[in-house]
Order: sequence, then structure tokens, then C-alpha cells
Amino acid sequence: MKTIRNIFFITISLIFSFVTLSAQQVTGKVLSENSEPLIGVSISVKGTALGSVTDLDGNYSVDVKGLNDILIFYYIGYKTQELPVNGQSILNVTMSPDVQQIEQITVIGYGSISNRDVTGSVKTLRKDEFNKGIINSPEQLLQGKVAGVNVTTASGDPNSAISITVRGPGGVRTGSDPLYVIDGFAINGSANFLNPEDIESIDILKDASATAIYGARGANGVILITTKKGKEGKSSLDFSVNYGVSTLARALGVFSPNEFRKQVTAVGGTLQDLGANTDWQKEITRSALTKNYNLNLSGGSNKLLYNASLGLQDQEGIIKTNDNKRYTGRLSVGQKFMQDRLKLDLNLGVTYNTVNRPSIGSLIGDAISNNPTFPALGADGRPVQYTGISNPLTTLELEKSITEGARIIGNVSPSFTILKGLVYKLNFGVDYSNYTTDNQSLPNAVPLRDGRLETFYNIGSNRLIENYLTYEFKIDKHSFNALAGHSYQKFFGQARAYSINKFPINNIEPIYNPGLGQELTLANNRPTGSAGINELQSYFGRLNYQFNDKYLVTATVRADGSSKFGANNKYGVFPSFSIGWRIMQEDFMKGNKLFSNLKLRAGWGRTGNQEIPAKITQAAFTSQVGSNTSYPLFNTGSYPPGTTFSRLANPDIQWEVSGQTNVGIDFGIFGGALNGTIDYFNKVSNNILLEVIPSDPVQPAGTFWTNVKDMEIDNQGLEFALNYEKNLGNSWRYNLGGNSSFIKNIVKNSPYSVIPSGNASGSGLTSATINGYINNQPIGTFYLKEFTGIDDKGLSKFRDVDGDGIISDKDRVALGSALPKAIFSFFGGIGFKELDFSVNFNGVSGNKIYDNTANSNFYKVRISKGINVTPDALDYPNESISNAAPVSSRYLKDGSYLRLNNMSLGYTLKPSAIGLGKILTGARVSVTGQNLWLSTKYNGYDPEVNTERNINGVSSYGIDYLSYPKAKTILFGLNLTF
Amino acid sequence: MKKIILILAILMSAFVYQSCTKLQETILDETLSVKLSDQEAANGILAPVYGKFIDIFTHTNYFALQEISSDEAILPYRGGTDWGDNGIYLSMHQHVTTSTDPNVKNTWGHILQGISRSVTAINTLPTLKVASSKTYLAEARGLKAYYNMLVLDLFGLAFVKDEPGNPSVILRGEKAVEYIKSELNDIINDLDPTVGPGRLTPNAALGLLARLHLQSAVWKDVYGNPSFLPADMDKVIEYCDKVISSGKQALSPDYFAIFGNNNHDNKELIFAVDQRPDLNGHNRLAYFSLSGDQFPLPEFPNANGTDGPAITSDFYQTWVKANAPIDPALADPRFYQQNISFYTNPADTCVAAKDFKIDRGILRGQQYGLLRVNGAFVKCGNGSLKVGKLFSVTRNKPTLAVDFTEKVDFTVAGSDYSTGYRVEKYEFSSKSASGRNFGEADISLVRYADIYLMRAEAKLRKGDAAGALADVNTVRAARTKPAKPLTKMDLETLFQERGFEFYWEMIRRSDMIRFGKYEGAWTEKSNTDKSKRVFPIPQTAIDGASNLPGYLSQNQGY
Repeated sequence: MKTIRNIFFITISLIFSFVTLSAQQVTGKVLSENSEPLIGVSISVKGTALGSVTDLDGNYSVDVKGLNDILIFYYIGYKTQELPVNGQSILNVTMSPDVQQIEQITVIGYGSISNRDVTGSVKTLRKDEFNKGIINSPEQLLQGKVAGVNVTTASGDPNSAISITVRGPGGVRTGSDPLYVIDGFAINGSANFLNPEDIESIDILKDASATAIYGARGANGVILITTKKGKEGKSSLDFSVNYGVSTLARALGVFSPNEFRKQVTAVGGTLQDLGANTDWQKEITRSALTKNYNLNLSGGSNKLLYNASLGLQDQEGIIKTNDNKRYTGRLSVGQKFMQDRLKLDLNLGVTYNTVNRPSIGSLIGDAISNNPTFPALGADGRPVQYTGISNPLTTLELEKSITEGARIIGNVSPSFTILKGLVYKLNFGVDYSNYTTDNQSLPNAVPLRDGRLETFYNIGSNRLIENYLTYEFKIDKHSFNALAGHSYQKFFGQARAYSINKFPINNIEPIYNPGLGQELTLANNRPTGSAGINELQSYFGRLNYQFNDKYLVTATVRADGSSKFGANNKYGVFPSFSIGWRIMQEDFMKGNKLFSNLKLRAGWGRTGNQEIPAKITQAAFTSQVGSNTSYPLFNTGSYPPGTTFSRLANPDIQWEVSGQTNVGIDFGIFGGALNGTIDYFNKVSNNILLEVIPSDPVQPAGTFWTNVKDMEIDNQGLEFALNYEKNLGNSWRYNLGGNSSFIKNIVKNSPYSVIPSGNASGSGLTSATINGYINNQPIGTFYLKEFTGIDDKGLSKFRDVDGDGIISDKDRVALGSALPKAIFSFFGGIGFKELDFSVNFNGVSGNKIYDNTANSNFYKVRISKGINVTPDALDYPNESISNAAPVSSRYLKDGSYLRLNNMSLGYTLKPSAIGLGKILTGARVSVTGQNLWLSTKYNGYDPEVNTERNINGVSSYGIDYLSYPKAKTILFGLNLTF
Repeated sequence: MKKIILILAILMSAFVYQSCTKLQETILDETLSVKLSDQEAANGILAPVYGKFIDIFTHTNYFALQEISSDEAILPYRGGTDWGDNGIYLSMHQHVTTSTDPNVKNTWGHILQGISRSVTAINTLPTLKVASSKTYLAEARGLKAYYNMLVLDLFGLAFVKDEPGNPSVILRGEKAVEYIKSELNDIINDLDPTVGPGRLTPNAALGLLARLHLQSAVWKDVYGNPSFLPADMDKVIEYCDKVISSGKQALSPDYFAIFGNNNHDNKELIFAVDQRPDLNGHNRLAYFSLSGDQFPLPEFPNANGTDGPAITSDFYQTWVKANAPIDPALADPRFYQQNISFYTNPADTCVAAKDFKIDRGILRGQQYGLLRVNGAFVKCGNGSLKVGKLFSVTRNKPTLAVDFTEKVDFTVAGSDYSTGYRVEKYEFSSKSASGRNFGEADISLVRYADIYLMRAEAKLRKGDAAGALADVNTVRAARTKPAKPLTKMDLETLFQERGFEFYWEMIRRSDMIRFGKYEGAWTEKSNTDKSKRVFPIPQTAIDGASNLPGYLSQNQGY
């Protein structure tokens, strides 16, 4: 509406400027607070019909009647200024933004509302607030930016899984990631296929009153991603190039060659010294180059808006041969018809990826363990072959895994205004992905390898159709906005795997001709596959009510049905209710100098987590020839396919339920310069879905799935966010902000004495578990034997908790959790004229990490055998060189950290200043550093780590095992706008 | 306005088109119904009942529970790097196993699933019109009884379940024994004598009944002193007599042929796990104990041992004392069989790949075998394979010889990779595709020698030492190059003899309890708690039953 008014003004003033006789003229330039020219600012002469608008360079000239006239400068989003001419013929003006006036729009699911009308806990992050640098997945854009949201990148692998937890995990199983919705299209899993450059804003719905509109998928929070759209009256072509160099941020502190020589002998081992000085970690890593190109085309008239983009990111991993290429294309079109009553929005995105990945675990395992006195390369420049140890450079040559595929996502959403305020909208979307992974092991003579090729095919699709009506109306001081709709979504997934062994040694890679394989047996190469369909059908509604601009009420309800739910529980109903009180609007606040904004919010809602495994409500029996399902009943002939029950039916199975209460306050002080939010929440999840053992142990399948009604997982927390922005007026401006959250997670009424998770990895550690979830302790708890030192025989001592004189599983105790007690971040920026500088810090505290890498690699036995270790292995001088290293608190470490996540310096050039004013409208150069500084006590590669070691789908947390090390990156960027 | 309505209608059609879903779950990758002939259905419902054998009778499950808990096997934390497994093998040997032991849990789970599969088969078979349904039904019931015997022996309880939907009735002690006994007696006449040893035959059922009557003194009062009733002993003798008089079994002259790849037709086997390379076979019992630097198959340079369990020096000393002054390898054909000629002829350093076989029985001292360098075996000039002294190359100790020592315990020195004499009783499959898979040899569960030795024990416990002696000597004399006949018979001698005959055949723990030896002391084991005669019920099962107080209670002492 404002845009229309603006155009109206411009048109009017244009007309008048032509028809009026000129008396005298004032000229000048209108600049923004960033000294950028403002185009289309309307200038009118007070009390007259005279006026003008600024041109492309911000210049204007206006006729005035006399030199005592007053000029009015009007521009949307800026404070209107009235300036007396005072006899000058040149009048330059800098406009300042009107904080009150910029209406922050918040996307809330099936619509958007003004930020000031939000009653739930929602955080909107716009693109200029995102983290900067090489971004592989949208989650990284918001790490540390949103209170209550914990983003953990599992490792330094550019393709690493990223876990994002909104207000603490509410279940024990995997699948506690939030729901992602891209331009109104809910997808399955993460949005990591998006080009971050295509994202305009991200809205994070945190509390249940906000997420309940997504019902059975709302319990873990909802992340709404809005991609870039065209803007009316402004067409531009943006081109950006970024070049980055990444290096290993922190190597593991294994002994240097000289130290190694000394220590092997000192502990009584036999030193095999081949005289070289090899840094094996250096051998497998490199300075990796990342190239990133983006082209964005955008524009629009009052009927048609468009935005089109192409992106390419070619990223090398810091581990040799690891390459990641991402090609993206995205198109967004909006068109109006029928006197603007029919509006059509269309979004189409395509991503094509190739990932080349060596076998990370074995490379790192070798690199941190190999004898550093052994040369990596021989005189012929080829990797040397050793007996007993494997040269990781040979692994790099022989083993690789290539994943290649594409994903296409598109949705079209026409909307039609039936009556004034009553709009019908259809949303139809399709999402399809097809990825192939080839794991190839080349045949080789020395060392002898047979060669093998495994191929995995994965297909996924997702179709959505939604119909909804919104009705907006106002009666006197009461305004209403109502929504009602229906949604149907169908997901399909399919996975297949094939393999073949024994390839001839020649120059043909098995991936290009699998038929050269010479061995194919059902026992070794049985193809595997699975497929599933999941359907969701929902009915939803929302009512927003406002009284007198002071009191806000929102109520939502959603009924969700899923094919995954049991026959007895097909539909779940998820209501929510919230209120807001804009205290600022009250009469008693009039005349207050302190606050510029003050709003109180409170809400309650119930949501669900429907991410339960498919098929678990139904019994299944399979009929197949398998090693333990069939048996040779006869001496000859084929084996009978055995019919076995693999699962018990439970038609009562339903979603996990989460009820959440939220109370929050939004405030602005110092004339809007300091804005803040404080939220308290209490999230109680129950109906926890577990795979339980039946009370009668004689069962066809050892376990069955059920919702444990009494079991609870509680998350209680406090969130603070502050942001201070100040424009000093003398070309200096700065901003400072930060947020922190404190979450207490606890498990209650679990029917199990312990739910184990976190399978330990490494030789000698089979069957030991690291995490264990027990009553009155948080999820992510480390449940371990407590190491108390070394006894006089040189062997490990553990606390005998039950005092029976034997150290057993019964002596395990809860020793902290991988979930941080506090998550915090702070950021700031300084700008001076064309220069801008920003920093982002983030960190966690109160959490632990289990260093499984050290547990299985760095202990005294190993150094005595000539295997490299870190100095930690020699912490106890009297430790025996045969003391075993079982899983215990000895390897449990403090995981707190503070990281300089990214830091960026940019310079915005005026193209006209360098004579390119006719070609360019904008140019910017920047340099960004990522992960430049880290403070932590943790001595693994990086404290932000999460090696997946779940047991039967029960999530593990905070385990570090041969993780891909993190990189430190410097990125140079150039942005041109035409 | 008409145009508007038209557009609305078009838009709404999409709504109608999609909105009528019933949300029935479509299952694409599993069968919920299969069309089978009655014969196929009968085969398909019986085969899985046997199918659990391969999961139960494996190295880390039943073998670990029956052997590592005894004086026959010990598995230290090898070199501080291998077989640590959270200390479960140390606990197993020291009788301090806890209810969270994963091997105990898995063994329990597999056996109970076997019972459940039997129940399914028993309820399905009567609905199928096939000639063999009577036999099949008898086998399913017999296996249910056998699985219950295993649960009773390991955990001290049995499960009576006739209908899949009804909860099991849990029996302990005498009631459990009587239940299993009556089940076996009910079905024995319906079994087919021609389907052994892989399936349950009348002889197999007789063998199990004999074992039941012999062990029932323990099972009826598991923590007390077993009192062997003459009536039970008579039954043992009666059942053993029946097996012997059936004429279907014979003692194998070649002792190691009982455990060889072609043992399926060996008449010594009465009841066994029928291993087939292309279905369920595995070499675990063969490679488990070998050194990580022993490569038994010329085709597979990656198939090695694991430096798993060894025999205790206590058990070894029983061989030495029984045969003194002659070395047991020379005195008793059951102790050792040489296949690598290098041991006696050091000049014989080249062996054609097809002729290479590793030694069998109990392996002592320096080991010789195929030499692996850079992942391939060293060859002689003529293309045959070089045989030489083995070193701990794969252990990163290339100068440390693979020299099996008598001493093996949980000390640092006693836990090294090569400590302890090893057992290579079962033969490695020649059909393997990886060296580790595709086992061929049937795994013995009941064999003919045990019929003689059970009868001997029953006679002895009834006071007939002479009859017992004769039975024992029958077995000794049956082997090629037989061990000297024994001259006297008492319980101590018989217990030792059972060790010599059945070492590592997954029966030692039961034997030790029956002979009152289980609370004794041997290497690294001093626990005398009688509660340890049965294992703890897995904690997960106790947790699972916690909603029914008193239904499934933990065994005493855990």
C-alpha cells in the first residue's frame, strides 16, 4: 500500500513539476544514511503544488516560489524532513531511516504479519544479519544468531551433517530436527541443498504457540526460509565472486618425530626409526581453495516481479581429494491479473551436487597414529608401503566415494481475492531428489586389494497441495484475521544398493565399468533396498484478534493425520493460544522517555513429533532365504524361504506430544537504539516413542514400538537477546548485540533403568556404550565408569559405586551431558563511510565431550608399540605399558568453547568515483575470515563435534571419533551490481 | 463473476482430487501376505525355527557363555587393544557377569525368539494339509523343548507358551524339568529318523532326554547340591541304550573328521547345526582362537585369526597329568593333529596352495604358516606358497614371534597377543569367499561319544564303575591311534575325560556345575558364589517386564 502511495506521490509531483511556471530553482542530492544516493525521493514545496523527485544518482532540482520556502523530503521507510531553503540554491540532504516506520514482516506459516503483532516466540533473521563466509547449509547462517537454538556441525567435513535443536531435544530418538518450510513448502529434512545466497530471510518459530500451526511436525520448532523476490520498480543484476583459502585450524598434538623417538624408548618400547620426519596429518591435508560465483537478476513492475539466480560453489576440503561442487539455479516469479484480484507466485529451484570424498575415518586414524619417523613418500615419489601400518596416501589413491545427484523443488501458489479481505489461496509443490553414491576400492597389487564397487541409489519425492482461505476485517477498534485450510502431503523414499567384487588391475575405474568385476555372490553382494510412502493430511485454522492496537490474541488449531500413525490414532489435534499486550500503547506510557517499545507475550500450545519410523504400527512378516530365517531342511535342493515375524503390530502408536508454555517480553529503549527480548519457556514432551521389550520375552520380534505415556522429557529455559544500533551521524555507525540461552533438560519416568546410546568405536571397545539416558538426568548424559587414577600395579582404577569390590557396568554413573547448559553469542559491527567491519562470536558452556579418538588411539600401550600418541597418553608415569583403555571418564572432556565464528571487512565503492557510474550501480570488495580464533580446553580437533553413534535410533550426543578436522578460512569477495 | 467462479472451480478441483485420503499406510518393501502352497508354507514355517541355531551357537553367544565361563577357555584383553569389549570376557571368566552383558542379552534374545518361532510354527502347521505336517509339528515342539532346556540351563527358567497371543507361563526348577521332559516324550515317536543330524531325529530327542535326566538334579535345585536320583540315571541308561541299539550312529575313527568340512554324513553326529556355505555357514569357531598372524586359507590373505580365547593352563595340565610322561600330542589323538609338515620337517618350506591346511586341535609354541607381506602371501619359485615362522606383523610387533605360551591370564604379560594355547577344532571352510564366511562344517550339539559318556556317568552314579569304565574305553578305543585305555573310573576321571573328548564343544559349564566344579578355583577365577551357576536375566528384559510386578524376577545374586 505504501508503495502505491509512493508512486502516487511521485506521479503527482512529476505532473506538477511540468505544469508550474518556474520562478527560482533549488538543486541538490539526497543520500541515505550509508551515503548511497536515494532514487525517487519526492520533494514538495510546502504550501504549494510544486515538487520533484530524485533521479538515478539522487539528484534533484525543484522550482520554488521564493527562497524562504520550505522543502519536504519524503521517502518510504525514512523520516520525512522539512528543510527551509534559507536562500540557498543548493541543498544536499541525508535521510535517516524511520525505525518506527519500517514495518518488519514476520513469516508465521500460511501467512505473515507485522512483527509488532507477533504473540509467539519468533525470530526473524534477514540476510544482512547472517553469518558470513563459506556456507554449506542454511543452518550455518544462523548459528549463534538466535537464542534457544543450538547449531552443531558434526565435523569439519564440508558435507557434514548439521544438527539444529530448538529449545532442547524433546525425544530420545533421532529425528528431533525442526521442520523446514521453503517459501511455504514444507520439506523432508534439511534445506542444505539451497544456495545461501538465494535466501532473503529466515524466520525461526520457537514456541508452541507459533509452531502449533504445523501440528504434528511442530514440536522441534519450525524454520521458515524465504528466498529472494523481485522488487517493484527496481531492476538489478548482481554478480559476486568469492575466493577462499582453507587450512587445518588445529592439528592433533601427537608427538613430533623427535619427541616420539624419545618417548618410545622411554616407555620401554622398541623404536623403529627410519630417520624421516613426517607430519602425517600434514600429508593428508592441504590448503584448500573454494571458488564461489553468484549471479542474481531481479526486477519488477507493479504487475510482475521476478528474481532469477545462478550459483556455483566449487569447494575443496582440507583433506586431500575431498571436493564438493554445488550448482544452483532459482527462479521466483509473481504476477497479478484481473485488476490484481488474482495473484500467482511461482518458485523453482534446482541443485546439482557432486561430492568426492575419501574414507575420512581410516585416513585420520592412520595420520594420527603412524610412526612419524617413517617417510610418506619414497625416492620415486610414490607412497611407501609398510608392513603393519598403512600409508594414508595409498588409501587416498585407492579408496573414494562419489555422490552425485540433483534436487528440484518448485511450488506455485495462486491466490484470489473473492471479496474485500477474503482471499483464497492454493499452494501446490513438488520436490524431487535423486542421488547416487559409488564407493570404490581400486584393485591393487601392493598392497593387495581385490577391488570393490558399491553403488547406492536414493530417490525422494514430496508432493504438497494446500488450500486455504484468509479473511481480514475490522469492526471499529476490533480487527480480525482468520485462516482456515486443508493440506495434503505425500512423501516417497526409495533406497537401493548393489555391489560387485574383484576387479582386474588395469587403468579402468570400476565405477565406469562395473561389469569388469569377477565375483558376485548373494552372500557377499546381496542387493538391498527399501522404499516407503508417508502421507499427511491436515486441517488447520488460525484467528488473530486485535483490540485497539493494544491487545493481541492468537489462537490456532491443527488436526494432523499421518499414515504412520496407528489405526486407533489417525488424527491428532494440536491447539495453541497466545496473547500479546502492547504496553507502549497504553495511556500511562505516554510521556515515558525510556521505552520506545514494550510488549508482553504469553502463550501455550501443544505440538507433536510425527518423525516416527514408518511401518511400526503394523505387524510384518517376511518370507525370505536368509542365514537365520531359512535352514537346510533337506540334503539337496534350494533352501525354503522362511516366514518370520519381524515386527509386532501396535495400532495405538501415535506422535510424541509436546506442550509448551512461553512468556516473553520485547522492549526497545534509547529511542529504539537498544532492542531486546527475554523469553522463558517450559517444554514438556511426553508420549515418548520407544522401542521397548515386551513384558513377556517370548516374542517373534525382541522389541515393539510404543508410546510410553508417563515418560517425560522436559526442557526449561531462559533466553535473552539484545541488539544496540547507533548511527553517530559523523559517518560513523556501529552495532553491538548478543544473545544467550540457558536450558535445563531432564528425563523423567523412563521405564528403563538406562537407555543406552553412543556405541564406542575402536578395537577393544566393542559393545561398550558412552551415552545412557536415565531418570532425572538430561538427554546426552554420559553414563560411564569413573576413572580415579592408576593403581600401584600400573592399572586403571575406577570408582566402585556399588561397593561390591568388582568394577562392572553397575558402577557406571551420570557424569554430565553433551547438551550445553548455556549457549551464547555476541556480535558487532562498525561502519565508517564506505567501510564496514563485523564480527560474530559464538560459544557453549557446561557441556562435555567424549573423546573416543583418544580412547581408541592415545593410550600408553600404543606408544610402547611404536604407534604415535598425544602427550595425554603419558599423563601417569607409573601407568603400565599394557594398561588397557576401556571406555571411562578418563576420556570425558570439557566441551565449552568460544569461537570467533566469522569476521568480515568490506568496502563499498561508488562506481561513479572510479568512472564506472554508467556501467555499475554498486560495487563492493570484502575479506572474511572464518574460525580464526577458538578458545577451549578440549584438545581434539574441535569441540563442536557430534559423531553419530546411535543405537537402534536412540540418538548419541557429544562423541568425537576420527572426525574430519575443522578448517580456518580466509575468503575474498567482489560484488558488482549493474 | 462467471469467470471467477470458473477459476475457483478449477482451483478447488485440485482440493477435491487429493483430499479423500484414508491415510492407510502403503507398504512397499515388506510382505504382509504371501501366496504359498501348503508344502511351501510348512517348510517356510519350520525352517526359521531351526534358523535361530546359527545365531545362538556362535563364538560370542552360546560359546562364550558355556566355555569362557569355564576352565577350558580364557579371553584376556589382548595386548591392551583387542577383545577389551568393556571387560565382558574378563567378567564372564571371573563369574562377575552383570545383567547388562550384551552377549548374555543376545543369547537370551536368540533363544527366546527360537521359542516364539516354535510357537508360531506349532499354531500354523495344523492348518496346512501336507504329508509331513506331523513330523514338522513334532520337530517344532521338540525344538521348543530344546530351546527351553537351553534357557533353563543358562537362566534357571522355562517358558510355557502355546498360543502366540497369550503371555508365557514362567516355570522354574522341577516344574520346568517336567514340562520339557513331557514335551520331548510326547513327540519322540513322530520324529523322522532319516533327517539328521541337522534336524531333530528320534536319536537326537533321546540324546536330549538323556542329557535332561542327567542334568535334572542340577536344574531342579540349581543352587543346592545335586542329588542324582537312581530313577533318573536309569532313564539316562535307557535312552542311551536306545540310541546305541538303533544302529544308526557310529563313533568316528578320525577324531577331527567329526569337526571337518565333510562332517554332515559323519555318523558320530546325532544333532548338529547344519551349516551350508551358501546359506548360513560361518568360520567363526575356526578363526576365533587363532593368531592375528595365522592365515589358514591360501586364497584369502585377509582371513586371519583374532587372538581370541585360549585354554587355561589348568585345563592343559589335566592333559599333561593324565598322559604323563608322554606328551599329550603323542598320547591322545584328540589333542592335536599335524597338517603342516614344516613342524617335523623344517626343510619342507614350500607347499602347493591346494595342499595347505593348518594344524588342528590344541596349538602350542611357535607357529608356522603362510607368510604375508604387503597383503599377499610369499611364494616359492615354483609358484607354491612359502611356509615359515610367524611373527606378530599385524600387531605392529614384527619381531615378536607367534609363540603360544602355556601361561595366559589377566596380567600384562599373560594378556599379550600370543599367550595361551589355542584351539583349532573346527576346520576352515574350503568354499569361503572371504576366508571368514561360508562355513561348511556342521556344529555338533549332541554326538555319539556323549551317548557313551552319559551312559557311563549314569552307571557310575549308580555305583557301576566297571560298566562306566567300559563305556569310556569304548570311546577311547574307537579313534585311530587310540589313547591308552583307562584302568579305573571315578567321577574325577570321568569329568576329566569329558574335557578331553568335548573340549570347546559348548558343554563345559553345564558339566562343571553337574560335577560340582563350577565354584572351584582356576586361572583368574576364585569366585565361589553358587548364584553364578545361572546367568543374570538381561536388564532390558527385566525393565520390559517391570509393568507386571513379580512376573519376571531377576535371578538371585544379580
